[in-house]
Amino acid sequence: MRKFIHQHKQAWASLKKKPGFILTVVMTMGITLGALLCAITLNYLLLVEPLPYPDQERLFVAEHSLIGAEKETQAVSFTYPGLVHLYKSKAAFEQAAIMSYDQDVIVSHSSQPLVNTAYVTPELHQILASPLAMGRMFEASEALDTNNPVAMLSYNTWQQEFEASADILEQKINIRAVSYRIVGVLAEHFVEPELGEEIGRKTQVWLPWDFNQSEEGVRQAFGLINENLKFIGQLKRGVSQSQAQQLLTPLVNDRWKEGVADDDFFNPWSIKMRVRSVKDVIIGDSGSIAVMLLAGVLGLVLIACTNISNLFMSRTAENQRQMAIQAAIGATKKHLFKAMFAETSLLIFMSIILALVLANVGFYIMQEYLGAVLPRVNELSLNLITFSSAVIVTIVFALFFAKLSTRMINYRALNTTLQSSGKGSGLQVSKKTRQVLIASQVALATVLVFANFSLLKEAVKTINAPIGFTTNNISTLILNFSSTDIPSQEEAMPIMAEIMEKLESLPQVESLSQSGSPLDDFRTTGLTNVANNENFTPFFKGVDHRYFNIIEQPLLQGDNFTDVDSRDGNNFMIVNQAFAKQLKADGDVIGMQILSEDPDPFKIIGIVKDIAIPGETAFGSDSVAAGVPRVYVPNRLGGQTFMLKLKQGQSVSRQQLGKLLAEVDSRYSVFSFNAASDLLTQSLFTEITTAVTTAVLASLVFLLAGIGLYGILSYGTQLRRFELGTRMAIGATRKHLLKMIIGDNTVAVLAGFIGSIVLFALAYIGLSGYIQPFLTLQVLPMLVATIVLIILVTLFACYWPLRQYINKPAIFSLSGSD
Amino acid sequence: MTEIKIEMKNIGKIFETDDVETHALKDINIVIRAGEYVSIAGPSGCGKSTLLSLLGLLDESTSGSYVIEGHDVSHLSLDEAARIRNEKIGFVFQSFNLIDELSVFDNVALPLQYKKVLPTDEFIKVRVATCLKMVEMSHRADHKPNQLSGGQQQRIAIARALVADPAILLVDEPTGNLDSKSGDTVMAVLAELNKNGTTICMVTHDARYADMANIQLKILDGQIVNDEPLKVAV
Repeated sequence: MRKFIHQHKQAWASLKKKPGFILTVVMTMGITLGALLCAITLNYLLLVEPLPYPDQERLFVAEHSLIGAEKETQAVSFTYPGLVHLYKSKAAFEQAAIMSYDQDVIVSHSSQPLVNTAYVTPELHQILASPLAMGRMFEASEALDTNNPVAMLSYNTWQQEFEASADILEQKINIRAVSYRIVGVLAEHFVEPELGEEIGRKTQVWLPWDFNQSEEGVRQAFGLINENLKFIGQLKRGVSQSQAQQLLTPLVNDRWKEGVADDDFFNPWSIKMRVRSVKDVIIGDSGSIAVMLLAGVLGLVLIACTNISNLFMSRTAENQRQMAIQAAIGATKKHLFKAMFAETSLLIFMSIILALVLANVGFYIMQEYLGAVLPRVNELSLNLITFSSAVIVTIVFALFFAKLSTRMINYRALNTTLQSSGKGSGLQVSKKTRQVLIASQVALATVLVFANFSLLKEAVKTINAPIGFTTNNISTLILNFSSTDIPSQEEAMPIMAEIMEKLESLPQVESLSQSGSPLDDFRTTGLTNVANNENFTPFFKGVDHRYFNIIEQPLLQGDNFTDVDSRDGNNFMIVNQAFAKQLKADGDVIGMQILSEDPDPFKIIGIVKDIAIPGETAFGSDSVAAGVPRVYVPNRLGGQTFMLKLKQGQSVSRQQLGKLLAEVDSRYSVFSFNAASDLLTQSLFTEITTAVTTAVLASLVFLLAGIGLYGILSYGTQLRRFELGTRMAIGATRKHLLKMIIGDNTVAVLAGFIGSIVLFALAYIGLSGYIQPFLTLQVLPMLVATIVLIILVTLFACYWPLRQYINKPAIFSLSGSD
Repeated sequence: MTEIKIEMKNIGKIFETDDVETHALKDINIVIRAGEYVSIAGPSGCGKSTLLSLLGLLDESTSGSYVIEGHDVSHLSLDEAARIRNEKIGFVFQSFNLIDELSVFDNVALPLQYKKVLPTDEFIKVRVATCLKMVEMSHRADHKPNQLSGGQQQRIAIARALVADPAILLVDEPTGNLDSKSGDTVMAVLAELNKNGTTICMVTHDARYADMANIQLKILDGQIVNDEPLKVAV
């Protein structure tokens, strides 16, 4: 132990003479190892670590697939009655729960916050063994058809909305005219299974299933699907996943067929049940994202290792005299290795401390910014895996760098170092090694920078892609109705008319439409072409006559709706170009008759230009490139959604609107009030995150590669100091020397580019499924840009270290460096 | 009167480090004429190597003027100085300073590669062969420097210094890294070159070799202490 401490003390004494060396090693390795520890922990969490629920290997989600006439999957969502039927059947599952995700306004709260709600049966929290901070979870008294209004809060909701009130269990909350008694608060460490479409969504208030917001008509409609309806359960022991699927499919399909027997549209359709483990559902495609992130980070680590290897080798070359002295007084090779290991282990230890700090920061950043892209990120923390990886990485890298450095030493020839003048003799990093280091830096940097540039380009392309309508100064207002006495359309119409009048009179408002935003208000519907009985499933939306003007979506042919159409509920329809082309190849569909669930057909009176919502695909399609078919019908005037176009520079607050609504009818309040531009940014969140991540990674790679290339080329130039001085002495100009240095390194750089091609080929073989979509001619500019950047960095790295010699009289290079 | 190859007037060199000024050379006045063989001697640290660096335009003087073959070279840019070195000066270093990766032929040919107008391959071949013959090293043209002895390397260095037909050969302690036998051989080569008309200025601490020059300058504390040549060669 004493020897260990003594060795490390000596190592520190030697190291602290070179603070720049320590800083470079610790910063470079600290940053890259921090990223590595982050990526390792994330991968372990997503791919290996079991879910924090009991018996989680029996935990499965049932999925309800709608199979269309051509036997293709049209959608994977439950119908309301289908879900309840499955739940009540108790087939295949020992215990099961059903859920409906929603959003609601807590009307009784002073700020009337909009919260994420989940309407669930009591089995959910029993299956998950949800830990509680206080109170209880739902019981049999809150089961299906008991109509017992109780609520559970998430820990954060209790903390933030109710100020961690100690008497929370004595409080009630009012949501949509129902008063719920709070019976429990979930523990802070409760991990909600992310089963919804929105990754990272956290339920804030849990309510009993009976109170879910589906209207009575929807509760009976086998022809309407809702992606927010979920089924989770524990499989019966002895029942496998495939057995469960075989059991459930006929059970659900037969009942569904009965339910849609009267609707010819669904005659050729069927239901297929799929049973997936909860882990598969939660992880989804994220596993591959995490693996690719790890691959990217490993690339960074490789570059960093190359840089640091070069630094250690240079240090060994510089320290040959000290090693020679040690050898002269009796140090063996093993002693020299141990001395080197003491240095490398100290440096890597310092690096890993920094890495752990940065990994923790990385977890925070991932939770803040990747929560909507990657599941389970809230479970990320410094854990046993992180620390074990840190220990292993410390030992491996310390040994690696120590071994690498000591390999350079020719122990037998050490004593000649003491006898020689030292000029140009002794230990050096060989030219071949230097060339290999340069080539490997260039190869890795080219691959990584190009990969990141390509991803960045795709993300930026999506972000900048024209959407076909404006979001400037437009906000969407959705009203909340907090009474059980829901008014009919006729009763609601004058109320809405008055609300509209008041909204229009606000000085900040330029114009108004009684329609929802194009970003969040489309639903799918089944339509039939009367002429040939062909069936379609476009997106469908109710709008008023001001809608297209306010969002500046051009009407290409025919007529817009009028206020009379909305008032009278006329069966007119406006379609977009994509749907027009589906109906008829030449798109000339004005006057065509279209049947929906309404007995009277719709008549197409107009065609509007297509819009492109980022990431959206048509019903039953995965292609984002194809146009999404849409139809618009006149909105009824009782609708509770409005688009406000505000005047430039003006704003309206949620409170102002709340007050305005209360003046008209106190049953109405603000459900949500969001700027369309914010909604657009949210829909682009994945692309924005990708763009930022790839830009940062590309910059980091570039920086590390630049440091590495500079380090190697600087070292090489340093070694040639006397040669440079000699050449200057015999008449070489600065231009001659620069050309010489660039020429000498050209072969290694070219070898690096060839190496990058090999790496690309290997990546293509291994990951062709992921890479194929990116292989278009459009990547060529990215490739050229990458190569140009690498060349520029190399040229800079050739020139900059040379400056100190060629910009001074030749004597400076010729005089002794010791 | 024979042509003046080199003329230095009131040359001074001050080295500045932190707050310390070191006057390495003060009021140096030298005239070297064609065909002369000049030696500069003095104790360690007297400034003789500094003087040779200034003569070879490897460094810049702090004051004074310097003219080579009628051209004022006192205030040249780095590239202009490189051109003058290439055309007018041949420098021989104490530690030979040959480039290990190049063959003897390529080492000797190197100054020709830096000419403003690149000579033809034929010219280079003939000129290198001539210079190697002058130093009796023709038989080693294809060898690498690390395959030669110290004395042989120094003779190659002399050949390199001669290849561009310089106005003057500047030689810095040519025998400093050699044994006495090799040193004698090298000095014999220099003597022969001077006999054939080459102007030489040599720095040495060895009195034996200093006496071989027909003009001996002595430096002490940065100044030339003898105003007239000590001996004229017979």
